[in-house]
Amino acid sequence: MGIPLLPDELMLMLTEQWPCRETQITRLASLLSPTRNNPSILTIYGPRATGKSDIVRSYLKATTLRHAIVRCRECVTGRHLLERTVAAVHQSLAEEEDAQEYNGRCESISALVVHLQRLLEGKKKFVLVFDRVDKQRDAPPTLLPALARLGEFIPNLTTVLIVQHPPPRFLHQAGVPHIHFTSYTRPQSLAILSRNPADIFVDAPPAELEYDDETHQEDKTWLWPRFCAAVWDSLGQNVARDFVSFRDVCNKLWRPFVAPIVKGDFGTRDFSRLVVNQRKLFQDESVLLDSIIAPVTTSADTPTSKPAIQHELPYHAKWLLIAAYLASFNPPRFDALYFMKSTERKRRKKGGGTARSGGRPSQKRTVPRHLLAPSQFTLDRVLAILHAILPHDLRTTIDIYTQIATLAGLKLLIRSGGIGSADPLEPGSKWKVGTSVRWEYVQSLARSLKFDIADYVVE
Amino acid sequence: MEYEKCYVYEPEDHRPAKRRKVEPQGLHGSWNVRREAYETAWGTQEAQFNEKLGDLNANAIYKLTTFLDEATRDSNPSGIPAAILSTGPEGSSSTGVIDQLSREQNAQKRRVFIRISASTGTNLKALLKAIIQKATSRQDGIDDEDEEVTTQKRGVKLLNYDLQLLADYVSERQLEQVAIAVGDTEAFDSDLLSDLIESLGYWHDRIHIVLLLSVATSASSLQQRLSRAAVTCTKGQLFDVAPSDAQIEGVVETVITDSSITWPGADLMNLVLERQSDYIQSIDGLPLSLKYAHMSHYYANALTVFLIPDIKFADIPSDHFDALRNVDSFRQHCRHLLDNGQGSQVRDLLESNSVLFTLARHKIRELQTRLDGMMPVINLLYQIQGTLQGYSTLPTRYLSKLYKLAMSGRLTSDASLIRSMLLAIRKSQPEIIGFVFLVCSTGFIRDPYMSRFVTVRRDINRLIGQAAEENQELHSADHVQNSTLRTTIVAQKVELSKQKATLSKRDEAYTKLLRQFSDLLEEYFTASLIDPKAFPFHELVVYDLRSPYRETFTPRPRQAIERALAAPHDYLDCDCCAPDGADGNGEATLSASQPATAVLYQLYLESGSLINVSDLRQAFLAVLGDEGRSEDENIALFQRALAELKCLGFVKGTRKRVGHVAKVAWRGL
Repeated sequence: MGIPLLPDELMLMLTEQWPCRETQITRLASLLSPTRNNPSILTIYGPRATGKSDIVRSYLKATTLRHAIVRCRECVTGRHLLERTVAAVHQSLAEEEDAQEYNGRCESISALVVHLQRLLEGKKKFVLVFDRVDKQRDAPPTLLPALARLGEFIPNLTTVLIVQHPPPRFLHQAGVPHIHFTSYTRPQSLAILSRNPADIFVDAPPAELEYDDETHQEDKTWLWPRFCAAVWDSLGQNVARDFVSFRDVCNKLWRPFVAPIVKGDFGTRDFSRLVVNQRKLFQDESVLLDSIIAPVTTSADTPTSKPAIQHELPYHAKWLLIAAYLASFNPPRFDALYFMKSTERKRRKKGGGTARSGGRPSQKRTVPRHLLAPSQFTLDRVLAILHAILPHDLRTTIDIYTQIATLAGLKLLIRSGGIGSADPLEPGSKWKVGTSVRWEYVQSLARSLKFDIADYVVE
Repeated sequence: MEYEKCYVYEPEDHRPAKRRKVEPQGLHGSWNVRREAYETAWGTQEAQFNEKLGDLNANAIYKLTTFLDEATRDSNPSGIPAAILSTGPEGSSSTGVIDQLSREQNAQKRRVFIRISASTGTNLKALLKAIIQKATSRQDGIDDEDEEVTTQKRGVKLLNYDLQLLADYVSERQLEQVAIAVGDTEAFDSDLLSDLIESLGYWHDRIHIVLLLSVATSASSLQQRLSRAAVTCTKGQLFDVAPSDAQIEGVVETVITDSSITWPGADLMNLVLERQSDYIQSIDGLPLSLKYAHMSHYYANALTVFLIPDIKFADIPSDHFDALRNVDSFRQHCRHLLDNGQGSQVRDLLESNSVLFTLARHKIRELQTRLDGMMPVINLLYQIQGTLQGYSTLPTRYLSKLYKLAMSGRLTSDASLIRSMLLAIRKSQPEIIGFVFLVCSTGFIRDPYMSRFVTVRRDINRLIGQAAEENQELHSADHVQNSTLRTTIVAQKVELSKQKATLSKRDEAYTKLLRQFSDLLEEYFTASLIDPKAFPFHELVVYDLRSPYRETFTPRPRQAIERALAAPHDYLDCDCCAPDGADGNGEATLSASQPATAVLYQLYLESGSLINVSDLRQAFLAVLGDEGRSEDENIALFQRALAELKCLGFVKGTRKRVGHVAKVAWRGL
């Protein structure tokens, strides 16, 4: 090897900062070397949380290559991306040279090429990084191939595309150098995580125990890696493989795990006994689920799970929803049988067992109706059913229509399909119950109204 | 008709030739005075209402403000802090909270408060644009420019949906927080909401964003709709901001107790509260209903001039007195006087306006004072009930229910409700009676009873004190535990005898005092609880007309149209299509003189779900008969009528069968 790719101290600093990524950094150094020729396009790929963006960023910063990084995920449209690219390149150039005002609209990829040509004319090497370009919203189909060929028009420009899982030949170009950021293996994950062990004691233990910070430091560097390994073996290797979620799970479980130590039931080095004692933690998979409600971490013992706050619908809205459910899941041809007052006797007979309801299962296998998707109904039908099932008379006023509008606003009733369904005045428009109105939900509604819904559902 | 769904009515500009009556006449003459009276009467109530409603939200707002402040302090959170407001199905109550919050927060310099809703935009670009515009135009109104590009001070041009604009604005003004309130999360497209939260999440390290998401159903249903990335970047906390039943009761309470001129009657209250529970959950409708009741009382009833506290005899036109003599309760009063042989008084009342004026003023003021005195008693009843509730099996009634009972005159001291309550007091243990005293002593009992109450309380308290010193318990002889039934057989007959447990002298004294106390309460209730209907001129003080409320707040548009078409005579009132029965209750029948659309609609009602148009036309022509019109004219009438039915949404073209139309609307739904 002739000239070293990078000065040694720089290499050392990077590998120190990003452990277990030596291969990738070396490759990056060889392809994006400040001193040698660079390829015009470079693709960096790898799964989530493998340090792609951060390593590229800190590498470029360390090597003082002139560069601009565009975060594609923040760009709302394709044009947004192009505008930001121009702005970022201009800004990065303006930092060292005279800040000239640069105005220019950039509405298409061709315009981008022109702008970049003008900006980078006669300049030295420049690296343009598109971070997560595969996540770009509303990207024109030619965006990726066009970006890959930027270097053909602009000398000294290197385009770096950071993507997660590139499909084969996604750039429509052969011979594009790729750097693969592999996901961290078990020892790698553990090694990285062990660099910052979490505290066992949040509050300083009482003074009489003569437990100083130094011992605490020793204990936690001893206990934390073992704990992390246990988490990896139980949960991490199957479902939390990527580093971020693995770290989150470890952090979530750590406080409950060391709670007996803090209480004083176990010593800090009783790892195996502690694992046996706390094995429930490693079996409970609910920690893996994300929730929009942050768990309440009070200083008290355990986070109390409050019953979910759910407000009841008004009285008539409940009936309306039940009627809508029946209209959605009962075929219209049975309406006369189930909802006409005069046929009440027939309905009652159902439990008694007729010739057809006898022991033998039917030859045809049918999916239970309540498991199928809801079918459409007209508003008049649901109002008629509402009148039929209500235990008292209903004076239809504008309030009922308000309820329908409210339920539609809550997406519990949905206007569905058909021509002109967007027009609220369309006569005979079709409706459906929303996806959240399932059998169980309606059953609980009916129970709260003391209404025996099972009598009215066609089996 | 086919292509126009609505029309713009453009009236011609010149006035009709006939002179309009601008000056009010007759009973209407006092209208201006009554309007002023209404404004003063309702104004005070409205102020109290608003205050109470403000208090309702105060708790929620305090919690939310603390949340926002905490989020400011957390300098590097792992996700967007989000307050998830559980509002109940009627979202409007939460907008009250958000309104109030935004008013308070926008006064602060360090925080921007933005509100968006589903109607703000249908795509991410529009939403972000709206957010940025709302945030940045707060202090210096940027013109609404359609230009997509906004220039910045640094010379870089940015698109107007670029959050960089917001980030620059925030760093320029050194704002600590950008709070974004999302109105109706259910109405949002799930993907759009997820996208919005995600893209706000990317910027969270540069802009301190806090989300306030209103949820009408439940937080878990919101979570199901969001994408995983959106879920991971929100750090939510749940807040319940919907007013509870108890709070609604509190608002009702202020209204009831604080009015001193007119009171809503039992029937009206019943209607209003029933609608509240059956259809509505938000409380905003309640003040409106009562306001409307006041308005219709003062505006429509000329006799309300007598309610104005400082009205002079000379101010009232004489025809108002004639009207007052027609009031039912006045007639009853006269009948009562005649029965008592006070004929001359009746003559005076009928002949002299000034005598009538004096009587009316006197009686109205009397009823007002009695009602004013009754409200605290209802409240006391409610409070005592609440106190006893934990210790006995008394059924609880809401204050509004008690009010309704009292206004309808059914809450007398004989009512089972009060009976059982007094019984419970007589049986009660010393510690419970202490609570009851506490409730009673807070100024509910009026003066003649106050001094007696103080004596009884002092005596009982002394007894309790003595018993406590000697470590003994006091028992009431009326308590079931202290008496046993004994059966003895005397001459083959079973004799039941109640055997009192042996009670000490002090217990007996205690029992006696408790009886005194309950007698005192009973006396007090008897004296205070009145039946307003028994008073003359109660129609003026107690407003209890249901129909104006009903017609205004619960109209029936569909039924009105159906009735107009099925029985056009009801609206037209013409001689030609009067129903057969001379007294007007005969069946409405088809006749050629009715409007063509009405004829066709009645034929339509008789048909099935698919209507053969040719048959329909024949039936239509048969009804029209030969009224001297040519067939072409009849066909034209038919076509227009059918087009009108289609426009009203009764029929619709169908592809199921040729030459048919589909029936879309059924009558009576």
